[in-house]
Amino acid sequence: MKRYLIATIVTATSLALLGSAAAQRPSSSVKWTKTYVVEWNEPAMYYGAKTGVIDPGTDCPNGTNPSPDWIKVLVDAGYTLEEAKWLRNPANPTRSPVHGQNQMAFRGKDRANVYVNPTSVADPGLAPVSGTIAEGIDLDGDESTGFTSPTGEKGIDNNFYKALGCWKTYRGPHRLSSGALNFNDAMRDGAWTTVIVVAGEGPDPMNDDNVKVGFYMSKDKMVKDGVGNIARDYTFRIAPHAKYEGIFPARTSNGRILSTAPADVMLRDPSYTQDLEMLRARVDLEMKPDGSLTGYVGGYRPWEPVYKGWVNARGTVIEVLTWVQLPAVYYALQRNADYSPTGPGGEKTHISFALRIDALPAFVMSPDGNNEVASVESYKAIAPKQTDKPMYPFLVVDGIVPDPTSKVQAGPNAVILPPSANSASQLR
Amino acid sequence: MAGLAAVGALTLVGGFALVTSSAAQTPPPKPSDGLTTKVALRRVTETQYRHTIADVFGPEIKISARFEPEQRVDMLLAIGSAQLSLTSSGFEQYFALATSISDQVVSEKQRTTSVPCKPADPAGADDACARRFLTAYGERLFRRPLTESEVLARLRTAAAGAKQSGDFYAGLKLSLTSLLLAPEFLFRVETAEPDPANPQEFRLDAYTKASRLSFLLWDSAPDQELLAAARSGAIHTQDGLTKQLNRMISSPRFEDGARAFFTDMLQLDGFENLVKDPTIYPKFNQTVSDSAKEQTLRTTVDLLVDKRRDYRDLFTSNETFINRPLASVYQIPFASSGDWAPYTFPLSSERSGILTEVAFLSLFAHPGSSSPTRRGIKVREIFTCQVTPDPPADVDFSKVQASTTGTVRERLLNHMGTAGCASCHRPIDPLGLALEHFDGLGQLRTMENGAAIDVNAELGSVKFEGAQGLGQYLHDNPRVPACLVRNVFAYGVGRKPDAQDADYLRGQATAFANDGYRFPDLVVQIASSPQFFKVAVPNGAERTSLAAAATAPLKTSKTSEGANP
Amino acid sequence: MSSFFDRRSFLRGMLRRGTAVCVALPVLDQFLNGNGVAYADGAKIPVRFGTYFWGLGLTDTPTGGTRWVPSKSGPGYEIMPELESLKPVKDKVSVFSGFRAIGDGRPNLVHWSGHASILSGVAPGVSGRFDGPSFDTKIADAIGTSTRFKVIDIDASMSRQPVSYSTPTGVTFAMPETTPLALYARLFGAGFQDPNSDNWQPDPSIMLRQSVLSAVKDQRQALMSGVGKSDQIKLDQYFTSVREMENQLAIQLEKPEKREACAVPTAPKDVPHNASVDSVRANTKAMAKLLALGLACNQTRVFNFVHTAGISEAYIAGESKIYHQITHDEPTDAKLGYQPETSMLAGLVMQAFGDFLVELDGIKEGEGTLLDNSLIMAFSDTGYAKIHSIENIPMFLAGKAGGRHKAGQHVHATGESVTRVSLTAQQLIGAPVGEFGTGSMRTARPITEVIA
Repeated sequence: MKRYLIATIVTATSLALLGSAAAQRPSSSVKWTKTYVVEWNEPAMYYGAKTGVIDPGTDCPNGTNPSPDWIKVLVDAGYTLEEAKWLRNPANPTRSPVHGQNQMAFRGKDRANVYVNPTSVADPGLAPVSGTIAEGIDLDGDESTGFTSPTGEKGIDNNFYKALGCWKTYRGPHRLSSGALNFNDAMRDGAWTTVIVVAGEGPDPMNDDNVKVGFYMSKDKMVKDGVGNIARDYTFRIAPHAKYEGIFPARTSNGRILSTAPADVMLRDPSYTQDLEMLRARVDLEMKPDGSLTGYVGGYRPWEPVYKGWVNARGTVIEVLTWVQLPAVYYALQRNADYSPTGPGGEKTHISFALRIDALPAFVMSPDGNNEVASVESYKAIAPKQTDKPMYPFLVVDGIVPDPTSKVQAGPNAVILPPSANSASQLR
Repeated sequence: MAGLAAVGALTLVGGFALVTSSAAQTPPPKPSDGLTTKVALRRVTETQYRHTIADVFGPEIKISARFEPEQRVDMLLAIGSAQLSLTSSGFEQYFALATSISDQVVSEKQRTTSVPCKPADPAGADDACARRFLTAYGERLFRRPLTESEVLARLRTAAAGAKQSGDFYAGLKLSLTSLLLAPEFLFRVETAEPDPANPQEFRLDAYTKASRLSFLLWDSAPDQELLAAARSGAIHTQDGLTKQLNRMISSPRFEDGARAFFTDMLQLDGFENLVKDPTIYPKFNQTVSDSAKEQTLRTTVDLLVDKRRDYRDLFTSNETFINRPLASVYQIPFASSGDWAPYTFPLSSERSGILTEVAFLSLFAHPGSSSPTRRGIKVREIFTCQVTPDPPADVDFSKVQASTTGTVRERLLNHMGTAGCASCHRPIDPLGLALEHFDGLGQLRTMENGAAIDVNAELGSVKFEGAQGLGQYLHDNPRVPACLVRNVFAYGVGRKPDAQDADYLRGQATAFANDGYRFPDLVVQIASSPQFFKVAVPNGAERTSLAAAATAPLKTSKTSEGANP
Repeated sequence: MSSFFDRRSFLRGMLRRGTAVCVALPVLDQFLNGNGVAYADGAKIPVRFGTYFWGLGLTDTPTGGTRWVPSKSGPGYEIMPELESLKPVKDKVSVFSGFRAIGDGRPNLVHWSGHASILSGVAPGVSGRFDGPSFDTKIADAIGTSTRFKVIDIDASMSRQPVSYSTPTGVTFAMPETTPLALYARLFGAGFQDPNSDNWQPDPSIMLRQSVLSAVKDQRQALMSGVGKSDQIKLDQYFTSVREMENQLAIQLEKPEKREACAVPTAPKDVPHNASVDSVRANTKAMAKLLALGLACNQTRVFNFVHTAGISEAYIAGESKIYHQITHDEPTDAKLGYQPETSMLAGLVMQAFGDFLVELDGIKEGEGTLLDNSLIMAFSDTGYAKIHSIENIPMFLAGKAGGRHKAGQHVHATGESVTRVSLTAQQLIGAPVGEFGTGSMRTARPITEVIA
C-alpha cells in the first residue's frame, strides 16, 4: 500500500521519474510550494464609471463605444443607400442568421475585404481610453511611461488597454465585460485549464528572495461547486505543452510575488487568438490569507494576432455583436504598439498588455499523476506535438463563412440587389 | 346510478376488516397435517431485482425505473422488506419495467440466444416452444420450478398474444412480462414443509433455503447450480449445504452480497436524496454524494472480504480509497490517473476508519451543520445495536440556552446536565462530540465561531478523545462484534431476533471472536447453522395440501412416506 | 351525464370488496345540492379531493401570542400574519382552530401522532406506521376509479426519503412523485390521452397488457392459500394494485370525455435539488401547476400533496440551523410572546400553500375555477412545534367542493377532536360516511356550519 504524504519537501528523485529530459536544473533546495488553478482570467482593464457596464466614466467619458451605424458605414464605403439597407435587412437571403452578412467584408477601396486588408479603408477611429488609471504591470521599469494603478503605483504599461479599453468586448467592471464572460464561461465549462505553481527556497513563503512561478496547462477540467463558483482543492495533472508554459523568476515580500527578471513566455490567451506570446513578461501576484492567488501576468504581446483572432472568429459576427468596425481595432493597435523586439529603432510589432488572474488553491501533480509537483520546472521537452484544434466546426475564410450553396456569393463584384422588380417592396 | 347506502357505509369504513376477518379464525398449522405453509413474504429489493435480471438475462438488459422506497425496521431494511407490500404507483413502475425487460429479452437481436427453440409458425402460437421458454426462465425468476397451473396460465397469455398480434414472439413477451409481474417473483415467498426427519416439526423447503443462501451471499436469486442442489435435496444435508456455501463464499460475487449487507447495516441508502446547503457546503454535489457511498463500500469490502481482516479494524484503519471529487472534500491530492486510488490517511488527519469517512459524517448531520446528537444516535444504533427512544414530546428547550457563540458542545453539555434529558443524552452525545472536528460534510475543522473545538468525551467511566479515541473505544467494545453478528443473522432470516435466538447469537459472537473477527467466516458460520433455517410459523397461516402445491418436476411425496429425495 | 359516483366506479368499488353487488336506484344527486355545477353540455363537473400537508405547525403559544388563529369565529375572519398568503383565496378557505389529537393513553409520537390521527382516526402505536388506513384512500376508492389514476401522490419537500402519509393498511405508504419532471412524465408522458383530441383511437396494445394481468390474477387462489394473516394483507395490497392497473387500462380503452379546462403543458424544467425554504417553495409551485392541469385534464380526481415532512429539514439558505431545530432552540420573545424566527419560517411555509391554492384557482372551469370544484384538507403534524404539542393543530378546508362547502369561515372548538374536521371533509366530498375515528376521537358530528 502506497503512502502519500502531504509533505512539501521533496527531493529531486521525483523528477528523475519523469526522465532526464524534463529537468533543466533539478532543484533540491525548494522548501515550499503553493499550487493553484486559474478560475478567472481577463485582460487587465480599469472601469472608470460607478455604475453599470457601459456607462460614461473617467476611462471613457462618452461611455463604451456605441454600435456603428452600419448603413452609414456601407454608404461611406460606396454602396448606394438602397443597397446598404438591403444588406442590413435580416430577412434577406444573403444574410445568414448565424454567420452574418458576408458582403460587409467588402467595403475597402475597390471593394477590398477590410478584414484581411484593414488598411484598404480609412481608420474609422476607435475612441481610446482617456483616463489615467489602469491595472497591469510596469514592464519597462520606467515610472514616467504608462498609467497609474488603482492603488497608486506609477508606470503601469498597458497600451492594449489604452487602445481597446472603450470597446464593448473589454470594457466593464471585473468579470462583467462581454469578452471576459464569454471566454471564462467556456474555460470554466472545461474548454481549457491553466494551473500555477509557486515554489521557493526560503523558510517563509511570504518573504522569500528565491521564488519561481510556473504557468502550465492541464487536461483535467475544473469543477463547479454548489453555488456556481469553481470548487477549491481539486487535483490537476500538468499536461506538458509544446507552446503554453511560462516560468518566471521572482521574489515574495509580505505575500506579494514580483518578478525579479523578465521572461519570454507563451500562455493560453482567453480569446479566439489563443496564443498569448509575451516578451519581457513579469508577474505581480498576491497570495491572499484565504489561500487564493490574485494579480497580473503581463508583457509585450504581438498585436496583429490579436486583430487576426477577431477576424478569424467571423468578422461579420464580431463587428455586429461587439459594436466595432474591425479595421478600427487594427489601426488602434498599430497606433498604440509600444515595443519592438529588434530594438528601439525597429517596427513596433508588440504592445504592452497584462492578464488579470484569479486563482484558487488546487493540488497540482506531475504529468504522470503520481506526485505533487515540488518545484517549478519546464516540461516542454516532453510535450507531445501540438496540433492546433480548429476553433469552429465551420470554415472561416478571410473573416467570413462562405456559403457554397448560395446563388449569390459575397465579393468585390457581387451584385447586391436581386434583379426582380419585387425587391423594391422589401426595402420598405 | 346507485347510492352507496348502508352497505356502502360499512364497506367504506369497515371494509378493511372484512378482508381479514375470515383469516383470523384459522388455527395455526401442524406438521402432522402433511401440508405446506408460507411463513414469510419478503419484497425483493432494488439491488436484488437488478442482480437477478442481470444473472438470468444478461448484463446488457437495461433497467431504468423507480423502485418503491424501503422501510427500516429494527435497524435493518431487510426486516422492513418483510413487512412491506406494493402500492399502485409501485406496481405501475414494475409493469412498465417488466414490459421493457421483456421487449429487450425477446427482441430480434436477443432472441437467438434467449429463446431456446424456434416456433413452428412465427406468426402464431406454439405451446411447446413457449413452454420450454417459460419453464426455464420461470424457474429462475420464481426461484423454484413453476407449477403446472402456473405454466398453463402463462401459455394462455402467450397464445392469446400470439394470435392477437400475429407474432409468436409478441405472445412470448407478454407471458414473460406476466412472470416478471407475478408476486412470486416480486416477493420472496418462504415456504415450510413438514420435516421428514422430525414429523412434528416444519422445515424450510429446499428452494426457500436456496433463496436465503443466495440472497445473503450474492444478493441475487439462486443460480443454476444452487437450484440443482435444491432440486436434488442436497441442500438439506450438511455436506450439500457446506459445499454450496464454500462455493459461494469464494466467488467474486460474494462482494455483491457484502455490499448489499453493509449498505443496509450502515444505512447508506440515505444517499439518493441527501441534501446539503450549497452556500455552506459548496463542494457537495451529486457526484460527491455517490462517491462517498462508494468509498465506504469499497473500504469495507476491501478490508473485510478481500483482505479478510479483523472486523474491528474498520474503526481504526485508515486505509481507504478515494477519487478526484472526494479528494477535494478531504483536501488531499488525488495521485492517480484512474478513477479510484487507494489512499491511507496519516495520523495527523485525525481520521479513524469508516466513522470519519465523508459518508458517515455527512449522512448523519444537518444540511448546514454537523450534529453530534444525530451522529451519536447512529453510532449506537449501527455499531452497538442500541436503539435510542424518541425524545419526550413535551420537552421544553427554553431552559437550554440557545447559543450562536461558542461551540455546539456547550449547548449539548447542558442537555446532559438537565434532569429530563440526561438519561438519553449522556450515552449518546459524547460519541458525537468526539467527532466534532468534522463538519456536516466531513471536512476537518478545529475551530467553531472562533473557539477551538474540544473533542474530549466521557462515557460513564470511559474517557477518549477525538475520532481516533472513539475508533479505539468501538474497537474494544464487545457489543460491536455482537451487533454485527445480530445483523448478519437478522438480515439473512428477514426478521427481528427474539428471546429464543439470544443464546444462539451469543454463541455465534464467541465463535466470531475466536476466529479473529473475520466477516466471511461469520457469514458461513451463520448460514450453515440450523438456526438460520429455523421455521417461525406466523399466526393464522392457512394450510395448503402438498398435492395442491405440487411443483412439476419434484416428487410430490407426503410426509408419511418419509421421502428425502 | 356523469356525477360523483357513476355506475362504473360504483360497480368496481363494490366488486373489490367481494360483497354482493346491490345496485340500488336513487341517483347520488342527493349529495349534490342545487349549486352543483355543470359543464356547457350539461355534464356535471367532478369534484376533486386532496390533502395538503406541511410540517412544524404554525405559531400559537401557550402564553398567548397567536400568529394564525383569527380572533373572530364565523364568516369573514381577519387575515392573521401567518395566513397572509391566503388573502387572494380567503373566501374559498375555512380555518379550523382548537382541534386536537387525543391519544387515549398512547404516547405522543413526535412529528407523527398529530397527522396520523387526522388521517387514520386513531393515535398510532409506533412511529412510521398508522394503525389503520388513511381516509384519503377510502375517498380514492370511491371517486377515483373513473380516471386513469386513482390517486396522485406528490412530495415537494426534497427530503432524503420520499414522504407520503397515504396508506391503505397503515404499513405501506404511497410512493410519491418528487420532482416536476417526474410528475409531468406520470401525468402527461407515455400513456396520456388528450381528452380534447379529435383523433382518439383505442390502443390495441392495451388489451394485450390486460392479458398479462389476467395470468397473474389466475394464480391468486393458489398463492393466497397457506399464507399467514399479515402476509395475506400484503398480497391483498398487491392484488388491489393489479386491479387498479386493470382499471387504468380499461379506462384507457374508452374514449375520454372532453374537458374544456384541460390544456396540455410542456415538459417543465427541473428545480435544483436542495431543501432550502425557497427551493421547496419553488418546487411546490411547479408541482402544483402540473397537478392542477392533471386535475383539469381528468387524469385523476384525488391527490395527496406533501409540502414538507413532519420532521421538516427545510432551512433558510446560508443558515446552519434547520427550521426544525429553530422551533426547539429559539427562545420565546418576552415582549412578543412567541418565537419570531420560527413565526417567520411558518409564514414562508404558508406562502407555498398560498401559491398552491392560487395555482388551482387559476384554472377556469365551468362557471368558476378548479378550486371551486375541489376540496382540499390542509393540515400539519403539530400545533406548538416547540413542545410537539398535538393541541390546536392548524387545519384548513380549501375549495368550494362544487358548492357544497360554505367556505370563508373560521371555526374554533377548543379541545375537540381533529377527526371532526376529517369527517366533515369526507362528507363534503359526498362520501356516505356517518362517523370517523376510534376511541375518544370517534365522532359522528361533522362541522355543520361549513356544510351547505
